[in-house]
Amino acid sequence: MIRIAAVGDVHVDKDVVGRYRPALEELPDRADALLIAGDLTRHGTVDEAKCFAEEFGGLGVPVVVVLGNHDHQSDQQDELTRAIEDAGITVLEGSATVLEIRGHRLGIAGTKGFGGGFAGACASNFGEREMKDFVGTAERYADDLERALKSVECDALVALTHYSPVPETLVGEPLEIYAFLGCYQLGRSIDAAHAALALHGHAHHGSERGRTPGGVPVRNVAHPVIKQAYNVYQLLSDEVDTTLIGAR
Amino acid sequence: MTNDTDLEAEIQRLLTEHDRIAEQGITVQRRDHLIVLGGEVESSQRRDEICKQITTHFPELEITCDIGITRAQAPSEVEEIS
Repeated sequence: MIRIAAVGDVHVDKDVVGRYRPALEELPDRADALLIAGDLTRHGTVDEAKCFAEEFGGLGVPVVVVLGNHDHQSDQQDELTRAIEDAGITVLEGSATVLEIRGHRLGIAGTKGFGGGFAGACASNFGEREMKDFVGTAERYADDLERALKSVECDALVALTHYSPVPETLVGEPLEIYAFLGCYQLGRSIDAAHAALALHGHAHHGSERGRTPGGVPVRNVAHPVIKQAYNVYQLLSDEVDTTLIGAR
Repeated sequence: MTNDTDLEAEIQRLLTEHDRIAEQGITVQRRDHLIVLGGEVESSQRRDEICKQITTHFPELEITCDIGITRAQAPSEVEEIS
């Protein structure tokens, strides 16, 4: 059994430091790792990244994150990444990591991802250079995710993104902005690698549960969606056990 | 003069692009003579700043704020993925 905690869109700045900490202090008794699905900060500044690292660092369990669009706002994503990694937190972007957990290997591959839309309403790689760049960006992130997912050997594989790989977890958002909230190419990559679970954020008014066309469970863990400090998901279960006691 | 449809777009852009707000998850709904703001943010300071900036930029509007603060308690349940 592996238990992973997950949340996204925590948007940390000075005014949030300390808010999550009481719940995070309980995390080692509830889960084996914490995954955060992007939008770690408000404006993507290094100062905000240090606030995030203070709030989510030193938890006693591995913390693995991807960046979100807010984390790119100040064009300081490289410096922001270094500040977070200095706190011992793993930042994924088209890359993967493997955690050894009680005899199991948990593989996590992540990318921020990008928009582009879904079947019936998606952007095409055609026309103006700006449109081709837009679609090309989405395809590049999806390709990087697929490579990262396929690069690991593990017992359970989790895909971590900020943008959504499916439209089902966007239900509740205006239809008009689906194309800015995710793209089908991410779902295709997740299916190609046979992941056990896909986690994303970004859609604050979306829905919690969906599946890729290939059947991989998808969970939108945006903080306003889950309405608690983090959700906990159990993989590789020996038996059904839905109490939150003694994860370790 | 800005029409109602464009006004909502201008408010949404202010909520996202103003450097003291940077919120993309706030809903803006028009009632008869009222703008209703909804959604959740991470702190009461952020909610207050949203109301302050909208009032400053659109003084002619009557605003009501239904924005909540996202709860941050630990969970009590686990979901088994199969």
